[in-house]
Amino acid sequence: MRKRIPVWLIGLIVTLAVILIPVAAFWPRASRPPDDPQAAIQPTPIHTSHADIVQGPLSTPQEVTRNCLTCHADAAGEVMKTTHWTWASEPFNVPWRDEPVTIGKANQINNFCIGAQGNQKQCMSCHTGYGWQEDASYDFGVQENVDCLSCHADPATYAKGDYGNPVEGIDLLTAARSVRAPTREICGKCHFDGGGGNGVKHGDLDQSLIFPTDELDVHMGKFDMQCTACHTTSDHQILGRIIADNYTVDPAEQVTCTQCHAQAPHADERLNSHLATVACQTCHIPAMAIKDPTKTYWDWSTSGQDLPEDHYTYLKIKGSFVYQKDFKPTYLWFNGNLAYRYLLGDKIDPTRPTLIDQPAGSLEDTDSRIFPFKLHVAKQPYDRRFSYLLQPITAGDDGYWTNFDWDNSFRLAEMIMGLEYSGSYGFAETYMYWPTTHMVQPKEDALQCNDCHSANGRLDWEMLGYPGDPMEWGGRFDPQ
Amino acid sequence: MKRKNLILTSALVILAGASVVGVAVARSTALPASQPSPIHPQFAFLDEQGMNVLESGAPVSTQRTCGECHDTEFIANHSFHSDMGLSDFGASGQARAWDLSNGPFGKWNPLTYRTLSAAGDGRLDMGTSDWVRANAARFVGGGPAAISRSGAALPSGDPNPENWNWTASGVLEVDCFLCHLPNPNNEARVTAIQAGDFRGAATATLAGTGIVDSVGSAYTWNRSAFTEAGLLATVTIQDPTNENCAQCHGLVHTGNIPLTLTGCDLTNWQTATTGQVISGDDVDQSGMNLADKDSLTRSWDVHAERGLECTDCHYSLNNPTYSVKEQAPSHLEFDPRRLEIGEYLQRPDHNLARGQSAQNTVAPGLRGTMRRCESCHETAASHTWLPYTERHMDELACESCHTPQLHAPAVESYDWTVLRPNGEAVSTCRGVEGASGSLTDLVTGFTPVLLSRQTLDGDSQLAPYNLVTAWYWVYDDPTGPRPVRLQDLQAVYLKGGTYLPEVVIALDSDGDGLLSEAELRLNTPEKVSVIATRLASIGLANPRIEGEIQPYSINHNVAEGEWATRDCRTCHSDGSRLTEPVTLAGVVPGGVQPEFVKDSNTRTTGTLAVTGELLTYSPATRDQNLYVFGHNRVPWVDWTGGLFFLGVLGAVVAHGGLRFFSALKAPRRRTETKRVYMYAVYERFWHWLQTFAILILLFTGLVIHRPAVFGLFSFPHVVAVHNVLAILLVINAGLSLFYHLVSGEIRQYLPRPYGFFDDAILQAKYYLGGIFRGQVHPFEKRPEAKLNPLQQVTYFGILNVLLPLQIVTGALMMGVQLFPQGAAWLGGLPLLAPFHSMVAWTFAAFVVGHVYLTTTGPRPLTSIRAMMNGWEEIEVHGEESVGDNPPTRKETP
Repeated sequence: MRKRIPVWLIGLIVTLAVILIPVAAFWPRASRPPDDPQAAIQPTPIHTSHADIVQGPLSTPQEVTRNCLTCHADAAGEVMKTTHWTWASEPFNVPWRDEPVTIGKANQINNFCIGAQGNQKQCMSCHTGYGWQEDASYDFGVQENVDCLSCHADPATYAKGDYGNPVEGIDLLTAARSVRAPTREICGKCHFDGGGGNGVKHGDLDQSLIFPTDELDVHMGKFDMQCTACHTTSDHQILGRIIADNYTVDPAEQVTCTQCHAQAPHADERLNSHLATVACQTCHIPAMAIKDPTKTYWDWSTSGQDLPEDHYTYLKIKGSFVYQKDFKPTYLWFNGNLAYRYLLGDKIDPTRPTLIDQPAGSLEDTDSRIFPFKLHVAKQPYDRRFSYLLQPITAGDDGYWTNFDWDNSFRLAEMIMGLEYSGSYGFAETYMYWPTTHMVQPKEDALQCNDCHSANGRLDWEMLGYPGDPMEWGGRFDPQ
Repeated sequence: MKRKNLILTSALVILAGASVVGVAVARSTALPASQPSPIHPQFAFLDEQGMNVLESGAPVSTQRTCGECHDTEFIANHSFHSDMGLSDFGASGQARAWDLSNGPFGKWNPLTYRTLSAAGDGRLDMGTSDWVRANAARFVGGGPAAISRSGAALPSGDPNPENWNWTASGVLEVDCFLCHLPNPNNEARVTAIQAGDFRGAATATLAGTGIVDSVGSAYTWNRSAFTEAGLLATVTIQDPTNENCAQCHGLVHTGNIPLTLTGCDLTNWQTATTGQVISGDDVDQSGMNLADKDSLTRSWDVHAERGLECTDCHYSLNNPTYSVKEQAPSHLEFDPRRLEIGEYLQRPDHNLARGQSAQNTVAPGLRGTMRRCESCHETAASHTWLPYTERHMDELACESCHTPQLHAPAVESYDWTVLRPNGEAVSTCRGVEGASGSLTDLVTGFTPVLLSRQTLDGDSQLAPYNLVTAWYWVYDDPTGPRPVRLQDLQAVYLKGGTYLPEVVIALDSDGDGLLSEAELRLNTPEKVSVIATRLASIGLANPRIEGEIQPYSINHNVAEGEWATRDCRTCHSDGSRLTEPVTLAGVVPGGVQPEFVKDSNTRTTGTLAVTGELLTYSPATRDQNLYVFGHNRVPWVDWTGGLFFLGVLGAVVAHGGLRFFSALKAPRRRTETKRVYMYAVYERFWHWLQTFAILILLFTGLVIHRPAVFGLFSFPHVVAVHNVLAILLVINAGLSLFYHLVSGEIRQYLPRPYGFFDDAILQAKYYLGGIFRGQVHPFEKRPEAKLNPLQQVTYFGILNVLLPLQIVTGALMMGVQLFPQGAAWLGGLPLLAPFHSMVAWTFAAFVVGHVYLTTTGPRPLTSIRAMMNGWEEIEVHGEESVGDNPPTRKETP
């Protein structure tokens, strides 16, 4: 016989339901659901120690890679698709050129050490491969030349030297056995020290981020996040592109704050209404190079003289510099793309600053927002007759850094990279903009209203295209 | 340093370059503080005679100069900053016997102490010119410095007991430059006024601007600042900025240098008296030694942080940008017939919109002209989290929660009954530990006290204040009581900057021959008598100590919601902020309890208490007619109710114990029983639902009543549960009533008058005797007659008296924000809430008795089980029970 549910139990359930349902309906709730950005962070894979997996002896770096490929068969092929390997973007159609162009360290110049072509001996220490030399054209199809250790070895055990090969005396077996997921320190070996030293290029990436304090960067400091927490990676395809070495960037290939944070994350409606006009970075990165200084000015024209040397002001091989620390970014409209990227051979007007890259965006462009940049100003060589920027050969035995002969360095470059040199050079001013997106500050330290909206606010409204402070004169989306 | 300069210079060069190519670059440096005015035309500086000062070399006259275009007479006559109380000089009904007006010109302030003497005073303290010089730092000129008390242009009409040479000094005109130039030199202006150069004060204000050159004691006009036509070349006239206002009103801070503030120096008047600092900076970015500084990531003042300026709220009353035409007829949404901007610029009203502060009584007709918080802020949608939003808004000013803490020191007390060697009062600051007056003192800030503010529209709200207590000597002048003049007081205490020997002997508690700060207190009748005698000896009649408490209202330093008071228990608890004692002073000179000043629009009937030498004030919730749940309780209600509850509980225990022991001695014979379907499904359902509701209501009510005892429970959630259950209970009671009425079962609850008392006595006798002897119940319980006479009368009382009372009082309390009139009509919460508590105690007692009596059936759990299953085992009574038959007979088989 089926046992019947006792009548008192039914009664109890009904009575409790009559009480609990209205109580639940009127239970006081927080007005906003809590935002949980950490939920979006992909868990880091559990570390697998390779100490007992990798078997020696390993005498050449290529042998290391072959060893890796025995288990990670697709790894090298995946890395070869990335710009870490190719040092060049996909081809872009740009309005000022007839043919599609690629942009990257392989073939274009910047206004720091200028160009890598012909300078492979030193520059390739940041290439994820071995043996890229000046003379022979590099074979990008050789899998065993992929340098797994550059991103995966314990940085205490491994270092890259000339032409991207391991420096003398590296114990490859120890390095190979130390592999792990990339850490801030590993990525930082190139991304913190790009341009020839700590914090030279980026205003927002330097060695202070290896052991960052809470105040330096809320993500990497307070929450100890690694680069790959945001630069999510699958099959070695790393999310995020530096616009300075591209022309446009597909938004799907870019890291965004909204990967983890809500689209309208502020409790304050007025702050959220800023999001259509102001990038997150603008308020949450009030200052760049908070701890270690970054280079903001580089005058190549004064190099080669026997002046007193100081890492932060003058080096004979490089010229004079200005470093700045804990300073305000430069603010431009930015839609994530460039309006212009200087390509080798582009004509310049030496009387005016040449823009190596020009972020795209304007008041009228509704996709663009006000964004913080580091502006790096340089005086770098150009050809007086052809009116284009020159690239010197600096590395190597005949390079400028050895014999301090500009003329010779341009003639060497003409031979190696085919950039015609008239024999007459001068120095022209160039600007390069670097987007600022790290060293993010929590809300307590973000910019406040009067940092911009006051008599001595940090934004120049008229330069941004406004008639005056939009707080008083109206914003670009307000009915006029 | 050199490298830093190089970096900076290079950066500037680079950034300047950036602007050349038209690229937007952030400014790396602040703009120069003064920019040429975009609209104000060039103008000539005229002297008193209307001549260009370049020709005459005379000081500038603002009335003449600005009067070329603006109606300076209108401006001077419409400016309480100038008037300072002159226009109602002599008006009666002032706060103190010696007050002569509503404004600083005539109204005595114990902080500044000195008194403007009335004409005919026996002892002259300050004449008009003395007042002007003494108040130079916080007075813009015009008003009493240009017009006499009788309304004539100075010097005519001035009583002038001080024999001031007005011809030599000239009058002090309204100084337009002080508020309308970016860099006025107030210091030079004050120096000129104090030196008696009233005529040249406006010119002194221009020192350092390049318009005048300072040569020696005179000013010469710098011709190169003027055009060939003699007009000022670069005009920087502007709207008053916060910095302009700060010159007199208090600390305003902008710029990159961290804010530092020490002590409570009266130079920053508003900051000193209230602890308010006007700055958009975050508090933790200041250079002060603040307690818990790192956590103070709020801004000093959210309005300053968000770009508002003083003049955004304190606007000129006829400024067409801000003014609202209140008088528009109801059929008009907007009335375009209003002042044009040109007309406004010609006659801008310099009476600025003002609030209803406790401390500023000047221009009483203009009180409340300013818009309040709610004029700009929408409050409903932003406070959805707050239970009883309207109720809270009705009783609390926004500032009460949104200015939860001041993070700067403020004046606590001024004791003028004694003097420091420098001739000043002994004063104390609150919100700071250590009195070195340096940055190393730990600034703790202070929580403002909440007082009931009586607003002009007849409402009242709790609002935050700083209380400044002052004691001082008063004597009887032939014309009335007066504070003892500072010079007389100094003569009694000091000679040449040192204390007189008689004073030292009287006050030197430790006998070391010196007077330390701690010894400067008149805390014994002997000390008071020594000073009083000395005051009498210089001819002051009846010298005595008086004390007053001046509330200073706090309306600035508002914090955004995240920093506002949000914890219910801040107020809804035993240690409620609403009545928390606030320290007034560490000594009560002469044992004189101070009184609140009469004209501070606050109601203050709280308690002054002296503990040791510490004087405290505890505000009273009755000032605002509040009953704050979790804080207010009526002890006799709780005692009575609690004792009743305990009495019932005790009776139940005693009765149950007796039953138990009697059952042990004489085991009850098994009576014959039968199973009867006693309770229908609905009857059981409504009963149990009511059971749960009552139990939960009693418990949650207790938590609301004593939240401190039940700290585990979240106050707002308990309130929500209590309200929901209350509504459930009412609905359940209503449906049950409907059921009983329709089914006719209601009859069971109605005691039949005939023979009722007999039956009730029978039932009572059974409970008092028969039950112990194992007798059966006098009345048989039947489905159609479940209740015995005692039950009937009990339920009759509960359902007709207690339950309706509880529902009505509860509903009025719950509805206090929707129809506050209802609750107010019945005496408001202070009456309703204790009533509700009392009935709750009665209900609790009923529950105990009710549950106990269910155990008196054939077996203890029989009745409870019946209420669950519907079927009850009841004793078989042979026949219809008859009241007057002895129950024992029924047992005879």
